[in-house]
Amino acid sequence: MLIKNIYHNLVKYKFLLTELVKRDFKIKYKRSVLGVLWSILYPLLMMSVMALIFSHMFKFNMEGVNFLVYLMTGLVIFNYFSEATNNCLTAITGNFSLINKVYIPKYIFPLAKCLFAGINFLFTLIPLFLIVFVTGNEIEGTKCYLNIYYLIIPFIFLCTLMFTLGVGYFLSTLTVFVRDVIYIWGILLTILNYFTPIFYPIVILPSWLQAIIKFNPLYLYINSMREIILFSQMPTIKTMIAVFLSGFITMIIGMFIFKKKQDKFIYYA
Amino acid sequence: MIKIENVSMKFNLGVETDNSLKMIFIRLFNPKKRNKKQYFWALKDIDFNIQKGEVVGIVGANGAGKSTILKVVSGVMKPTKGIVEANGKISPMIELGAGFDGELTARENIYLNGAILGYSKEMLDEKFEEIVEFSELRDFLDVPVKNFSSGMTAKLAFSISTIVDPEILIVDEILSVGDIKFQEKSKNKMMSLIKGGTTVIYVSHSLQSIKDLCTKAIWLDKGELVMMGNVNEVCDAYYDKQMEKQ
Repeated sequence: MLIKNIYHNLVKYKFLLTELVKRDFKIKYKRSVLGVLWSILYPLLMMSVMALIFSHMFKFNMEGVNFLVYLMTGLVIFNYFSEATNNCLTAITGNFSLINKVYIPKYIFPLAKCLFAGINFLFTLIPLFLIVFVTGNEIEGTKCYLNIYYLIIPFIFLCTLMFTLGVGYFLSTLTVFVRDVIYIWGILLTILNYFTPIFYPIVILPSWLQAIIKFNPLYLYINSMREIILFSQMPTIKTMIAVFLSGFITMIIGMFIFKKKQDKFIYYA
Repeated sequence: MIKIENVSMKFNLGVETDNSLKMIFIRLFNPKKRNKKQYFWALKDIDFNIQKGEVVGIVGANGAGKSTILKVVSGVMKPTKGIVEANGKISPMIELGAGFDGELTARENIYLNGAILGYSKEMLDEKFEEIVEFSELRDFLDVPVKNFSSGMTAKLAFSISTIVDPEILIVDEILSVGDIKFQEKSKNKMMSLIKGGTTVIYVSHSLQSIKDLCTKAIWLDKGELVMMGNVNEVCDAYYDKQMEKQ
């Protein structure tokens, strides 16, 4: 019943969803010379800077690992999460003029923001796979190869999207009532950035901290990607279940909170 | 067609004051600073029915609850109490151009706004020419809407909202947009919609235009329904009352 309802609504508002995503896209690259090329250049530049600074620092713990690929997998996943959640913060408050005048199901706004960031994310896969297949040295064992487990990657993306969506729904709701969330989230994201092993190997941390970080869903997603891309290994079934559940449960909780509060939004415009 | 049953709408005036984290903390530790809950009933126990094809005007002073009732009917707001039923496709014209994005061109906005109103892509492709024709803005199709004058924006919005024959049309004081020629055109369009059997709720301060368009009228005062019935009787009674006060 509920699933049928959601499906029905998605079909009904598919066109609106695409129009909203298109709008964000057009506005983002308006008056920019390189436009969508930035989606490709940005992760490459970020990676270069980080590689320049950190590759020597963590050399001893990363024997036989392609550091550039290690960095890129972490960067693209984290950047997606950070961009999507940042956009979601104002998904409702930024559309108040609309919500106030026309009836539109409100859940469509955070969804549009997450999908819009998702399109950007797909562009960042270009530099990621460029680095995967171009860099590396066979003799040192740092060369990465295409393998059958790549088929799992879309599933990991889907779980990342669900997780991000859940957080996005929660944040967009919270911002309506307390606008300070916008600033607080900026700080939290920075902290999360350091507590997600993006540019360092997790083994350099004390074991108690490692245990905590393993509960960070973003680490789960990034790590599963690395298993496949860097080591041509299938992540364990246990990991895959954790990947799915962390995404799915977060999404359900976020949607539940959003649904519960959405009728009150209009009083806080 | 539209059923409003014992509808009340409560607004909390306190929430509008200060919503920052700082104030939340202050209120937490200092009970005196806590907002006294100030309620304001924008609608009190409103009860009426509108049949299919009826054209109903709503009159009342500022703050009488006219716009609130339109928002309740169109589903933008849920009433605090009571039941609202509206069967049919609603085209809300509460504020023209609410769905426009100033950065986008008129062409892009036709699609965006159409999607917001629930039109399909195929339908917009088909009716695109008609919308452009009616809006008289062909030369400005690729200009960002932020560079439009308010009259041009309203013309575009009106053309999009009325391109399909909606079953229920909700209009809030918008027929005075555009130049005289467009005003006449939009009035004719409204008339043809009405003749086609569209149910209309129309809010205006111009009693003349209400008398011209509507068959029935509702008089609201401070959230309460004062009178409902024949358009001339209600409008005259309202007019007399307002003049009496002065």
